[in-house]
Amino acid sequence: MIDLQYYTEYFWELPILIKVVWLISGVLFVVILALIAYLKFLRSHLRENEKTLKKYQKEYEENLINYLYAGDNENEISEAQRVLINKMKICVADKFKRKILISVMSKLINDISGEMAHSIQKFYFETGLVNYALYKLKGRKWDVIASGIKELTQFEVKEAHNEIIKYVKHPNLEVRNEAQLYLVSLFQFKGLVFLDKLKTSLSEWAQIQLLEILQKFDNQEIPNIRPWLQSKNNSVVQFSLKLVKIYNQFDVRDILLELLSHENKEIRVDTIQVLNYFQDTECKHFLKTKFNTSSEEEQIEFFRLLEITADTDDEVFILENVAHTNFKIKLAALKILKAINLEIFNEVKLETTDLQVVEIVKFIEAN
Amino acid sequence: MSSKKKIVLAEDNSTLSLLLKFRLEKEGYEILIAEDGKKAIELIEAHSPHLILSDIMMPYISGLEVISHVRNKLKMQIPIIVFSAAGQEEMVLKAFNLGANDFMGKPFSPNELVIRVKRLLSF
Repeated sequence: MIDLQYYTEYFWELPILIKVVWLISGVLFVVILALIAYLKFLRSHLRENEKTLKKYQKEYEENLINYLYAGDNENEISEAQRVLINKMKICVADKFKRKILISVMSKLINDISGEMAHSIQKFYFETGLVNYALYKLKGRKWDVIASGIKELTQFEVKEAHNEIIKYVKHPNLEVRNEAQLYLVSLFQFKGLVFLDKLKTSLSEWAQIQLLEILQKFDNQEIPNIRPWLQSKNNSVVQFSLKLVKIYNQFDVRDILLELLSHENKEIRVDTIQVLNYFQDTECKHFLKTKFNTSSEEEQIEFFRLLEITADTDDEVFILENVAHTNFKIKLAALKILKAINLEIFNEVKLETTDLQVVEIVKFIEAN
Repeated sequence: MSSKKKIVLAEDNSTLSLLLKFRLEKEGYEILIAEDGKKAIELIEAHSPHLILSDIMMPYISGLEVISHVRNKLKMQIPIIVFSAAGQEEMVLKAFNLGANDFMGKPFSPNELVIRVKRLLSF
């Protein structure tokens, strides 16, 4: 008692700053204790959740496997399968359980194909899970809509086409991407119809994803690319140029030549790359005439094209660019010159005073 | 003592493991499941299986390391089938170089897997 009084008096006699420090320390000590208690509670709660999740996961895995092996050849859905479907129908009403079941089914449908994959899709419809995914499409949050579309893509719900096509123009990039992936994954090349009216930009990543999906299909009969090559949306034109190259659509050559005058530099560069791939020689004259007004990227691409297609007719043009300021062009010009006319190449070698040219010539001759 | 042929299945997708276990047990094989490469090696060393089914990408020890361990350290010549996802073509080539006998790209049909297992175990 005396001690407590002594400490109280001692405390009140302390300078104000020390008192404040003591008070803050006290408050912090209490806060830390409360936080420790909260973290302990949170940890046990999460562990409990994890246990429940594992329990349901195991149960649903077994139910799903039993369902897959319970089919008979007589009925589309056997009696045993119907029992399991009814059992799971009750479970899917609960959001937590539904999420677990979806994750179990997703894991499996990604890794198996054939009859069993079809059975899983049937299970997805019969348990009513499809309705929850369709309901997600009406959500307010973009991530809910995107996850709904992703799920419908994964379980190949073609019936949602009319609903999902609306999201191709959604203001959110993720939603748009998922909608585009849905269309292409389920409707293959026909799904690319969204490109007709696409006004938003198709990112490089989205283009790669679409091309990857398209290449998985056996049916490689591609639709008319011409309208997309003439699209006002530059990203659609760039994507179409990739399609032209991958699927060897050389019959659109006339449009490719028009694209060499496109207002967008990247498109012009991509077009030269495609023409290079086709080893087109007729574009050379046009590219030569506009060479001096072209960007450096276009000039480099043109020289790459010349490395494959150059002949003696190009000699004068090549010679003009042996002294180009750009190193890549200079190197390409000398390489081409050596390939098409060794005599002139040797003349350049002897007459040049440009040290860089001397070094390049040495390099070319050594390789 | 069981006369069933033993198969070690190394796969981190528990649902797929269970599905394949059911299917292969129906065909009369004894299946030992490993959820990662480390467990797979333990099972192989303890049970000397007749065949190994292994995913390439697994936690702790990859499918490639499992093949290397079986062929180089344990000197076992049992058939090995590897599973690979799309885009793992280089890994598949490495698996063949290390001594894998066959591969199946995901997604695959369990029925096709059974045919391949039967074929490899019939030699």
